[in-house]
Amino acid sequence: MQIIVVDALIVERGGRRVLDNLSLTVKAGEIYALLGGNGAGKSTTLSALLGFLKPVSGSLSVAGVDPASNAEAARHKIAYLPENVALYEHLTARENVEYFLALAGEAHGPEEIEAAFDAAGLQAEARDRPLGGYSKGMRQKVAIALAVVRQVPVLLLDEPTSGLDPRATADFNALIGALKERGTAILMVTHDLLGAADCADRIGFLDNGRIVEEVACDQGYDVMALHRRYGEAVAA
Amino acid sequence: MNPIRLIAADEWRLMRRNRVAMLGLVMLLALSVIAALTSIAQRDNSDAIRARFQAQADQAFDGAPARHPHRMVHYGHFVFRPLPALAAFDPGVDAFTGNTIYLEGHRQNSANFGDVRQSSLLVRFGQLTPAFVLQALAPLILIFIGFGIVARERERGTIRQLFAHGVAPRALLFGKALGLGGIAALMLAPGVLALGWLIAFEGAPLAPSLTLLAGYAAYLGIWVLLIVIASSLAAHARTALMALIGIWAFTVILLPRIAPDVALATNPTLTRLETDIAIKEDLRKMGDSHNPDDPYFNAFKQRTLKQYGVEKVEDLPVNYRGLLAVEGEKLTSKLFDDYADRQFAAQKAQSRFTDTVGLLSPAIALRRLSMSAAGTDLEGHRRFLSQAEGYRFAIVQQLNQLQATAITYDDDSNRNKDPEAGRRVRIDPKNWQKVPDFRYQAAATGEKLQAALPGMLTLLGWLVVLGFGMRLAIRRLADAA
Amino acid sequence: MTGLWRHELRLFLRQRLALPALALMALLSIASVWAGMAEIERQRDTIARIQPQQAADVAAIAKWVSVEGDAGNAAYYTFHATWDEPSALAFAAIGQRDVAPYILRIRALGLEAQLYESENYNAELALPGRFDWAFVLTYLAPLFVIVLLHDLKSGEREAGRIGLLAAMARNQQALWRRRIGLRIGGLLAALLIPFLIGAALSGASPGLALIFIVVAAAYILFWAMLCLWVGSRGWSSVTNAATLAASWLVLTLILPALGNLAINSVVPVRQGVELTLEQREKVHGGWDKPKQETMQAFFKAYPEWKDTKPVEGGFHWKWYYAFQHLGDLAAAPQAKAYREGLEARDRWTGRFGFALPAVGLQTILHRTARTDLNAGLIYQDRIRSYHKQLRRFYYPYVFNEVPFREADFVKAPQWEHR
Repeated sequence: MQIIVVDALIVERGGRRVLDNLSLTVKAGEIYALLGGNGAGKSTTLSALLGFLKPVSGSLSVAGVDPASNAEAARHKIAYLPENVALYEHLTARENVEYFLALAGEAHGPEEIEAAFDAAGLQAEARDRPLGGYSKGMRQKVAIALAVVRQVPVLLLDEPTSGLDPRATADFNALIGALKERGTAILMVTHDLLGAADCADRIGFLDNGRIVEEVACDQGYDVMALHRRYGEAVAA
Repeated sequence: MNPIRLIAADEWRLMRRNRVAMLGLVMLLALSVIAALTSIAQRDNSDAIRARFQAQADQAFDGAPARHPHRMVHYGHFVFRPLPALAAFDPGVDAFTGNTIYLEGHRQNSANFGDVRQSSLLVRFGQLTPAFVLQALAPLILIFIGFGIVARERERGTIRQLFAHGVAPRALLFGKALGLGGIAALMLAPGVLALGWLIAFEGAPLAPSLTLLAGYAAYLGIWVLLIVIASSLAAHARTALMALIGIWAFTVILLPRIAPDVALATNPTLTRLETDIAIKEDLRKMGDSHNPDDPYFNAFKQRTLKQYGVEKVEDLPVNYRGLLAVEGEKLTSKLFDDYADRQFAAQKAQSRFTDTVGLLSPAIALRRLSMSAAGTDLEGHRRFLSQAEGYRFAIVQQLNQLQATAITYDDDSNRNKDPEAGRRVRIDPKNWQKVPDFRYQAAATGEKLQAALPGMLTLLGWLVVLGFGMRLAIRRLADAA
Repeated sequence: MTGLWRHELRLFLRQRLALPALALMALLSIASVWAGMAEIERQRDTIARIQPQQAADVAAIAKWVSVEGDAGNAAYYTFHATWDEPSALAFAAIGQRDVAPYILRIRALGLEAQLYESENYNAELALPGRFDWAFVLTYLAPLFVIVLLHDLKSGEREAGRIGLLAAMARNQQALWRRRIGLRIGGLLAALLIPFLIGAALSGASPGLALIFIVVAAAYILFWAMLCLWVGSRGWSSVTNAATLAASWLVLTLILPALGNLAINSVVPVRQGVELTLEQREKVHGGWDKPKQETMQAFFKAYPEWKDTKPVEGGFHWKWYYAFQHLGDLAAAPQAKAYREGLEARDRWTGRFGFALPAVGLQTILHRTARTDLNAGLIYQDRIRSYHKQLRRFYYPYVFNEVPFREADFVKAPQWEHR
């Protein structure tokens, strides 16, 4: 089932066309990695899905809801992890989760939250410590726990593995793998081709606001060739 | 160029390109110029008006017609407190004290028509004078310009680069201080020009003017160091800004207001009304001139008769009523002095208390120094009050003496019954011209400087303490890098 | 939703600056209310303290005056106390009460020479202004608003949370409203609760206290709006803080000082000195003028005494009190001009108040607490009418030459305690 549908999307910012006829889909239980360099339109895509900007034309759907016309309902279906998961440093992991759940207007019992922390792999002893002392990987686990407890159909990830050490990256990949198993549609934007190749089911290459090539893992592809083709543009 | 000068020059270039900093600086300079111009004009105007009123009062006194001298005692005189030239820089308490007193026999009137009672509450927001601009506003503008002076470099990581290029933390901080100090010097410039004008054209005394200048320079220096230290110790520029605004609000706005409240509560003074009643009561205890059997005045009578070797007051070669007036005025004047001394002592104790609080607030210390050097402190007003009282006593006694010598006892006793006697007691108006005019003697330079000294020492103490603060900041900076 | 409010409160109170700022605001508010109440208590005590002293002074005069029973002496030597009771709200806005006298003794002689007497106060202590609640509200509270609101959005943006907050919140507007509400609500509580307790203890009327509360809330709201407006420009927290503090400097210090300068030059008042000089010349000129001339002029104002025994000889109290009063009449135009000058200054200040929130706030607070320039003028009016009563009381004794006895002293009109 297609959970995320972007069709012929055109978005302009300050008179400049940032997304130019962008189309992509993500199914339930699928991880889609959107690769591109700076200014390719990665963040704009996420913003459009979150309903932060109105497209000029084209259509969007998040679990059957159009974020352009009903942003609130769409956000209700989305868990979003910004590049640097920034939560409240002076609150504990549990308090942060409770706070954001309240903001989203969702009520979940302490057992559910505890279970989500377990699922996200956050050590029990860290859950009641203020976030100030957390590493990036741990913060992401808190944010994942938030996504897990909300049981949302869509997870948007912005550069999730940048700044993570290899061990934490492996942990993270395992984690979103588990979410995928639960049927979550996951869209990640990144400029790390090798990282994306490790976990994504499909990879779309974004340049100047449109997908120039799309590859699927089950069909096999030559990572090195892709790297030669896009490595330079993507890293920029 | 040495690294300190290099860093300062770099800072200036940066500030020139910083629109906010330039705007603040230009605003402050404009305010300084406006304050200096209006303050000088206002001082000249006030002083001219007071001089004109004084001349008018002198003329009225000298031109009074033939009168009984005691009538002149009650006609009295007006004296006006001249405004020192440096009041154009710092008017101090001038607006809060009356500038004219009506002097008459056996009464002590208050100094009236102070500006504060003639103004709406706007005057309590502070008067725009060079002193106010430099005391209150300049530090805040310096804070806006300088709060990020070191913190900014650290936040952007450029500080490590500087250290990597061999700049010593010491040179960095002193260079920054020199850079900000240059801005402070620029802020001081309109004040310096105003002082120069006052010295050159309005007869402002040199040494007190230079003391003022030194005091304000030290004060701004204190803020420069405070800002550099806070900016280098704070984790973020914003923390430095908040802390510095907090320090400013506490020392410049809050403490100067809290200290008087405590001083008033711990050293209460009598109201005029109570003083008035107490003096009357004391007078009645000493001797009641209305009572023919009063022991004090009887003793005085006997003493006088014995001195002249006569039996009855009618036989005295002088007018006994005049002698009585002289004696009575002596008694009241003594009491006036006693009560005034007590009042001044209590007020001095109050002011001393606020001076002690000034150890915590450079703004209070500077205000003490500034008002003292300008001659516009409470002490200046006290000098005026006590000189006016001295003058009052002198002219009243001169007139009482005239009553004793120029009028016969017989005429004086019958002046209301016998029209001829009534005419004879009106003595030649030339006598009024012999009464000297009031000349206010301002404090000598030495006295002003002495009064300014505690403030100056406090400011220097702050500079020394902040010198140590700089050392601490340098060490912390070196450790962090 | 109460849960959300609870979460926001926890979030807010755990912030490094929040609780200390609110506690400090409350502390300053409590201290200012306490200091103001102590000062007003002191003024009330002084008014109470002078009563027995005044009575003893009158009794001592009565003792010797009543021997001869000369009403002229009684009127000449007896001073009558007047006082200006502080209003119940004066503690919160002391205003001009520390520099304008609130007690004054007068006698039945020329009033213009007595009306402008000033009090013995330490000018160095008055110079910086009082530490009262109005000061805390006008000057310090805006700084606290700035501390609490300058980084409302920019802080979240700089911490990188703004996107997450926007993505998570069901209603973004409500989120910010809650946050602003908590901050401003907390600040207002810290500021107003001590005032309300002080007002209750002072027995202030709820209506007047409500005026204080409404203008205080409006003033805080103004600063909050300014903070939000600056915050909406998308600048950094540092820029917001510097901009807002600079606005505070301009709005509460620089513009009022410039306004004062402007008012003083547009409306100069020096009639005060002129009128006292004029009054003295008229009064003392009276001694040298033919007595009949003086009496005729006086009878124009008080025809009821025209037919009393004519003045003869060198001196008579009738004539003396007549020229005292004529001195006041002669100075009346200057006195009127002086007063109008003061009122004009006050009016101009009111006009500035429409443009400058701090000035408007102070105007309303001090007008409501009756501690402004106008309150001083009203006190002077009351003294004028009391002085008239006093003269009317003494005139029958003086003009009908009725002996003034000890019992007559207590018949003198008493100052009405408001």
